[in-house]
Amino acid sequence: MKRLGVAASIAFVLLAAACGGSAGSGGSSAPNGVVNLVLWMGYTPPPPASQGAEYESLKGIIADFTRLHPKIHIRMEYVDNDYALQKVTVALQGGEQPDISYQYGTNMPQVAQAPEVVNLTKIIKQPAYGWNDFTPGERDVATVGGKVLGIPALVDNLAVVYNKTLFAQHHLAPPGPDWTWSQLVADAKAITDPAKKIFGLTFPADGSETTVWEYEAMLWEAGGHLLNSSGSQAAFNSPAGVQALTLLRQMQAAHSLYLDFHPDAGQSESLFNSGHLGMIITGPWDLSSFPAVHYGVQIMPSFSPGGSHQTISGPDNWVVFNNGPARVKASLEFLQYLVQPANLLKNSLATGDLPTRLSVQKLPGFAAFNKKYPGAGLFAQNLHNVLQARPQIPQYPRISAALGREIVAALLGQASPQAALNSAAQQANSYLAAPAG
Amino acid sequence: MTAARAAASRPRTHRIRRILESDHLSGWAFAFPAVFLIFVFGIVPLIWSALLSFQQTNLISPPHWIGVANFRALAHDPLFRQSVTHSLVYTALFVPISVAGGLFTAIALNRKIRGVRFYRTAVFVPVILSTIATAIMFLWLLDPNFGLVNFLLGRIGLGPYGFFDSATGALYSIVGMTVWGWLGFDVIVYLAALQGIPPTLVEAAEIDGARTWGMFRNITLPLLGPATLFLVVWSSINALQLFDEVYFLTKGGPGTATYVVVYYLYSLAFNDGVAGYAAAIAYVLLVAIMSLTLVQLWVGRRLVYYSS
Repeated sequence: MKRLGVAASIAFVLLAAACGGSAGSGGSSAPNGVVNLVLWMGYTPPPPASQGAEYESLKGIIADFTRLHPKIHIRMEYVDNDYALQKVTVALQGGEQPDISYQYGTNMPQVAQAPEVVNLTKIIKQPAYGWNDFTPGERDVATVGGKVLGIPALVDNLAVVYNKTLFAQHHLAPPGPDWTWSQLVADAKAITDPAKKIFGLTFPADGSETTVWEYEAMLWEAGGHLLNSSGSQAAFNSPAGVQALTLLRQMQAAHSLYLDFHPDAGQSESLFNSGHLGMIITGPWDLSSFPAVHYGVQIMPSFSPGGSHQTISGPDNWVVFNNGPARVKASLEFLQYLVQPANLLKNSLATGDLPTRLSVQKLPGFAAFNKKYPGAGLFAQNLHNVLQARPQIPQYPRISAALGREIVAALLGQASPQAALNSAAQQANSYLAAPAG
Repeated sequence: MTAARAAASRPRTHRIRRILESDHLSGWAFAFPAVFLIFVFGIVPLIWSALLSFQQTNLISPPHWIGVANFRALAHDPLFRQSVTHSLVYTALFVPISVAGGLFTAIALNRKIRGVRFYRTAVFVPVILSTIATAIMFLWLLDPNFGLVNFLLGRIGLGPYGFFDSATGALYSIVGMTVWGWLGFDVIVYLAALQGIPPTLVEAAEIDGARTWGMFRNITLPLLGPATLFLVVWSSINALQLFDEVYFLTKGGPGTATYVVVYYLYSLAFNDGVAGYAAAIAYVLLVAIMSLTLVQLWVGRRLVYYSS
């Protein structure tokens, strides 16, 4: 009797588990010819009114698209961009992937390993996508192992935003387009005032990708590379890498560098906005956080006069997942519409985001962009200083994590810049030697 | 004999009815929702991660079976060793401080003083606060440059201290914050146990001439044994699984100062795409926690006095 009861319960459990597993993801191809798509994005609607622009812009473009294609319905679902890779990993395990997902460029090598990801290599050759109109940095990041797996969704880059008032108070000339790191170090030192808690420059020190990509821009400008040319060994512990890290370490030792251990918490932004920071290295997304400051924007400094002032770009992508041919076809139709120059211009003017295609900068309406978003025009021009991209390999996140930890160790003075970078390189080489996983 | 023959010849419907009417079936039916949830969210992941620990996988692409290579690699992983050390240091500090602090506070609150209900509530409030709210609050309080704590310390000529931002102090700052957050739980458990001490024993001891310390040493403490054992076991399991505070506050940093086992395995599985290796770490942690709990229960059985 007892055994029968147990057996019945187990059967019940298995039955319930089997039924529970077959729920759909919401998107579908209905028999009446309507295709329902699920689109994951990290934008939130207002309120607050100041933060809903991207959501409203995308929603507007989707509404326009639906008017042109009444049989394609797109549902926007919020997924925090920082966790989009984790969410899609879990969704793929259950076969519940969205049709289109917003993914950071650094996620691409991981995403590329999913059999469900749609290879766009042939599709982007159609003239409507204007593939060569995207910057080289964007195209590189959308491509993994020779396959194009994403359509650029957002592009940005790093430049120096400085407090004009603090510069004027200390009788410093505002930085020019040919400035150098030694000039930045001198300016930062002049502005620093420990008694008033004013620092020359802030640097993210949580060891995350935020730390690493700022360092990478400096590494490249100093003439260094992350990996050797064949990608088999770490190369950042070169004299160029040491030069970049030593500069930061010396600024930290001179107390003119504010180490921000929680860059996600927005502390540096509020400190800059309250006049406690002379300079902040950041992207166009941050400009709206500085309403209280009279700020200027300048491209990254070079290490020697006449340098190339390289910056780093962090393009994000729209990635398409396979949920059957009808839904893939509809997803591609939408993405093609989304990246039309006229729509990109509309989006840039509504949000302050840089246009992902260069030809948008030549459209007559683009002049309004820098007027509406002071400083954003410089970030748009700065896209031309993006000469390299981070390597699109599955081991990159782990290499970046090791490099981030060691950069912070060096900044805190726990290890010399050379020793810290050597240690990170040793870890990176062990990850490169073993296949990812 | 007759009964057996009658039973054998009984039609099948009787048997089905007997099953349907039996207590076992209704018992299992009542237990089903809980059993189902434990099965789906407990047993299935347990088995699945056991399989993962023998694979090389990033959870996205098809996995490769690699035997015990993940477990072998653990022996040569300096970051794993650091994470284990930090977890052990954290546990060795958190458990005694929170349990002893809980005992002290409970005894202080187990008296007839004015407003005792308010104090008891106040002590318990941190337990129900969400970790992230607590974390953000402590982040601002303990900020090296702009925090209130350093400002006040500066007034009396101390500091500034780095707290979460200093490689030497971050782990201890997390100990402090979590002790504050969990003290109320220990207090509630001890208060309940203190109120369960039979007044007759206390009176008898008083008649025998026991003073405050003797009373505490010989009556109170032994009778609190079961509560103490529970709190030690429970806090140790919790402490070895420390994650939220590290994730919100320090991300393992500065540098590697607050890498603990669960944070390390999380970052491996979900940032670095090394899920098989992370599952192996999870299993090592599972075995470690089980062994520690067994040792604690074994020692506890020798030391703890159960009154009934």
